[in-house]
Amino acid sequence: MIAEEDLVHQLKQPDTREKAFAVLVNTHKERLYWHIRRIVMDHDDADDVLQNTFIKVYRNIEGFKGDSKLYSWMYRIATNESITFIKQRSKKMGVSDEELKNRMIKNLEADVYFEGDEIQIKLQKALSTLPDKQKLVFNMKYYQEMKYEEISEVLETSVGALKTSYHLAVKKIEAYLKED
Amino acid sequence: MGNNKKQNFKTPEGYFENFHERLMQKINAEEDTETLSFLPKSDGFKVPKSYFEGVQERVAAQLQERKTKVIPLHPYRKYKYAIASVAAIFLLFLGLNIRTEAPVAFEDLASAEIDAYLEQTELNLSSYELAEIVSLEGTELNDVMDIPLESENILEYLDENIEDIEELNLNFEDYE
Repeated sequence: MIAEEDLVHQLKQPDTREKAFAVLVNTHKERLYWHIRRIVMDHDDADDVLQNTFIKVYRNIEGFKGDSKLYSWMYRIATNESITFIKQRSKKMGVSDEELKNRMIKNLEADVYFEGDEIQIKLQKALSTLPDKQKLVFNMKYYQEMKYEEISEVLETSVGALKTSYHLAVKKIEAYLKED
Repeated sequence: MGNNKKQNFKTPEGYFENFHERLMQKINAEEDTETLSFLPKSDGFKVPKSYFEGVQERVAAQLQERKTKVIPLHPYRKYKYAIASVAAIFLLFLGLNIRTEAPVAFEDLASAEIDAYLEQTELNLSSYELAEIVSLEGTELNDVMDIPLESENILEYLDENIEDIEELNLNFEDYE
């Protein structure tokens, strides 16, 4: 596997850019997809946001200074793109973000790419009651199995605060799921 | 049993020999996400078969398509200052020469009209764009806030937004 520094260097050189970019996409597509999918929920929307994320990465790689790791920089772009996508959609539809989230969950029930029964739908409802950041932290830690250090780099939040967020999220989800 | 003659404290035998190993186990255990029995193993999301195989080609095609079509979103943007300067000089010149027609000045606009324009027009500036054009040098935080930032306002805010307690950077273990 190519070292990150070399890959960044190749991405910045016009003659090696295309090839290095293909490596970058193939390395990160799955993890970024699942990250985006858990925010926007719908597969087609996740596909659009994923493509836009990579296009932004390609166009802005010149400005990548290497202060953070490449993957955390890409995760940040993916997070921002996903949140912007939701905000734009709610604006377009003239509904609040909260109302849009309710509709997104409703749509899941008919989604062919959602293999969930009652408990999965209830989990999504529980997640929708959390503040955005708590939901992100929970999904990244529990379902994406990321380490606190990695999440800390992406969300630019201290590990201590992330642990608190995660703990609170778990408590709220548990309480929600145990409700009748 | 090991002991310390000076202090008479004792440690279990072999305590220090495997200390590092036990410490690493504890650190790793903290990172392991405990499986929560009340949660489903999967959250239910799935993807079409072979979806990931085509991602790279589709991104490359999108890039190619956008390159060939192109398409600066605002092609006039880079010229807008030049055009605005020329227009301003032209208007000034016109204003100076046709004094009799009393040109409309900025001051003639009612502030309500300006407010209405700003409210109705979608400026769509991101916080990064705003940061680029608004100089904060010499600006105090309270200059840009409707309500002065006094400690009671801060406490009121925290009280109303207790959901965001994690933003306070508190370590949960400290108050458990």
